[in-house]
Amino acid sequence: MLHYVKLIGQFFKISAQAEMAYRANFFIRLLYSVLNVVTGLFSLVVIFNQVESIKGWDLPSALVLLGIYLLLGALRSLFMGPSLESVAGMDGEIWTGTFDFTLLRPVNKQFMISFRYWRIFALIDLIFALGVLVYAIVLLGTPLSILTLIRFLATLTAGILLLYAALLAFSSLVFWNSGFLFTWVINDLFQLARYPVGIYPNWLRLILTWIIPVGLMTTIPAQALAGTLSPGLLILTIFFSVGAFIGASLLFRRGLQKYSSASS
Amino acid sequence: MNHRGGWALIKNTWQSWLQHRGFFFLLAFGWMLPLLVYMLVWSAAAGEGSLEGFSQETLAGYYLILILSNQLTYPITNWTVGDNIRIGQISRWLIQPMSPLYHALSAEIAGKVVFMVFSIPVTGLLALLIHPTVDINITNVILFLPALLFAWVLRFFWGYWLALLAFWATRADSLLALQDTFIFLLGGHLAPIHLLPDWLQPIARLLPFRYMSAFPVEILTGQVTGQETLLGFIALTIWLTLAILLYRFVWQRGIRHYEAVGG
Amino acid sequence: MNKPIIQVQHLTKTYRVPEKLPGLGASVRSLFKPQYRDVEAVRDISFEVHSGEMVGLIGPNGAGKTTTLKMLSGLLYPTSGQATVAGFTPWERHTNYLRRISMVMGNRSAMNWDIPPMDSFRVLSQIYRVPEKTYLHILDELIALMDMEALMKKPVRNLSLGERMKCELVAGLLYQPDILFLDEPTLGLDVAMQRRIRQFLKSYNTDHAVTVILTSHYMADVTALCPRVMLIHHGRLVFDGKLQSLAEKLAPFKLIKLQFSTPVIDFENYLQQFPDVESLPRQDEHYSLRVARSEVAKVTAQLLSQLPIADLSVEDPPIEAVIDQIYEVGSV
Repeated sequence: MLHYVKLIGQFFKISAQAEMAYRANFFIRLLYSVLNVVTGLFSLVVIFNQVESIKGWDLPSALVLLGIYLLLGALRSLFMGPSLESVAGMDGEIWTGTFDFTLLRPVNKQFMISFRYWRIFALIDLIFALGVLVYAIVLLGTPLSILTLIRFLATLTAGILLLYAALLAFSSLVFWNSGFLFTWVINDLFQLARYPVGIYPNWLRLILTWIIPVGLMTTIPAQALAGTLSPGLLILTIFFSVGAFIGASLLFRRGLQKYSSASS
Repeated sequence: MNHRGGWALIKNTWQSWLQHRGFFFLLAFGWMLPLLVYMLVWSAAAGEGSLEGFSQETLAGYYLILILSNQLTYPITNWTVGDNIRIGQISRWLIQPMSPLYHALSAEIAGKVVFMVFSIPVTGLLALLIHPTVDINITNVILFLPALLFAWVLRFFWGYWLALLAFWATRADSLLALQDTFIFLLGGHLAPIHLLPDWLQPIARLLPFRYMSAFPVEILTGQVTGQETLLGFIALTIWLTLAILLYRFVWQRGIRHYEAVGG
Repeated sequence: MNKPIIQVQHLTKTYRVPEKLPGLGASVRSLFKPQYRDVEAVRDISFEVHSGEMVGLIGPNGAGKTTTLKMLSGLLYPTSGQATVAGFTPWERHTNYLRRISMVMGNRSAMNWDIPPMDSFRVLSQIYRVPEKTYLHILDELIALMDMEALMKKPVRNLSLGERMKCELVAGLLYQPDILFLDEPTLGLDVAMQRRIRQFLKSYNTDHAVTVILTSHYMADVTALCPRVMLIHHGRLVFDGKLQSLAEKLAPFKLIKLQFSTPVIDFENYLQQFPDVESLPRQDEHYSLRVARSEVAKVTAQLLSQLPIADLSVEDPPIEAVIDQIYEVGSV
């Protein structure tokens, strides 16, 4: 609805104002962004200095995956992370007892806690991510057909949806245990998405595909771009991401119900 | 030096940290994960063969021990130094009969015990799943212990003097993040030192970061020859001396500045 | 008679609280078979409030006031019972319902602490869909009423408690709600600020016909603002009516204060003849007597006729003292 789009614009504007008030923050953020990209690239250089490929993944394809990882990370830092942490994180609304106010706003609650706060300096991360991705695609050398591009965008969207679902689900757990920082758990687990899920041992690959789908978020879009993704897996991933989104939303709703039954 | 007070402080800190153990387990988990990722990556890279003498199993062994030793050498309290300076906590500590160093040390020790409560079982479980191999002999164990202790002390003081720059600049904790990054890249986390590119190896052996993390593990897993170990200890001592000198220098200047500015 | 805007019928809220017994044995047992305790926070409360009324909800800590307020605002589901507020069931939290109510709490802040109040207000006006012109007009009015012009550009974390409270009220009123729930709005404020807030609330209620339900520790708030009070005690509604009637009911006596024109010796002995008269501590020349209401006329007449009285007044006991008695003793 148009109203919600306008609200996102307002939220973005207010967050931008607040962030730009502190100039020192910009340089610190820039430093962290640079460190983030440099360590990612450097890691690949070191690894592929020792081997040509790992389980079928060579430097260019691993670089594509890194680009996707950085892209998802940038989106998380841009709004998903800050918004959800404002409720479920340290000193968040559940922790400090101010969630009641949010609950009383005449807006869809899931929308509110997902889009409310923005870190605009994460746009730097986004730019770096796109840079790495474009460079990686060039390095990969495979011809980019329209079909490949469509597959890539579809799986990338699925990856973003999966990331959001995972963040939302873990954040919702705070309604059952307000003292524990569940968001830190999923942020830590997301590290596993830096590398193709295929290189992990079987038992881990299964967990990272079906239980906490961190493995799908980056590996599937990377495969789509490299042209090695089977149509079956593509369809499955898309359905799974939609299902995960619905599941996480239901969990959040259940969490709200729990909060309204039990808070004193 | 007030030893009894220090011990009481450690006991108190330990008890309150035990109450918040969920939080500290979470921290330990967060540090463990990147090392796990690279263990898995290198194991997959080595496959059935070997990389520079490392097999899947020895890589697993190296990283599992690194996970534990990293927990033990990580100086958590450095992150609170900036905050303590900002909120004036330092003033309170200055008038107590124990130096602020005692507060830091007691927190460090208490923290490490809590982390081990989590890390040892988890690492044990992983060892069952991953079948590492480690070549242990008694000489290595004897040399491992002082190397580990000094690694922690070096890592602590190096981070501490950087964190003390908060006396002058508010976001000095970004320097701690920088230190962590260097340890990741050059301290044996991203890759064991021997697997780094050839041109990088001498640099990594020169800089302090290896001695803050990887060096004790290299000794224990038999990756270094007698001569290399000796050279390593010499480098470690030089960096440690420098770290302590820098700490004293920055601390004295910092206190003077702090008192002049009015806290 | 118009229909009441708030109708509450047999509202009950019972919490299940996990029981934590001390000792190792009990802790282990609770791991396998957790024990729960039922806490009846609100028991079978019924009342009606008409549009424009300003009602005080009073009672000791833990009596159930905040729980009642939370159910009426929609934050909590009741265990049983019904409530209709402005035609809605509050805990369904319909968007249209939420737009018509406002909750302001004295001990918690709805504001974003990192940005100036102006920015928080703007975002809220968007969330509540207040048209631009209306928003600016209302904002001007509120800022002028509370004399807040200087605060607008300062970040919230730099404001004093009183200044922050003013901002909370603006945030709560800028979308012109029909119903205002106030939970301890003057908590922690200095006396002058309390008075200003009270004045503001009174005139706002008069000018805009907002229905207000207010809880407060400070009897001064209630006496100044609420012609009607509801006393909640151990979760039950034990009184609903004029504050004055409550005082009379709880403390069926009055105070007679007198000064003598010439000193009277043995005044204590003289008082022995009155069984229902109690002498209170004397302040210089001012004597105070506590007299049963039914005896006041007789005692006063007798004193005036028999003793050299320079000044005599008959007063109601301070409501604060009466209510404090309930709060302290914990019983009515």
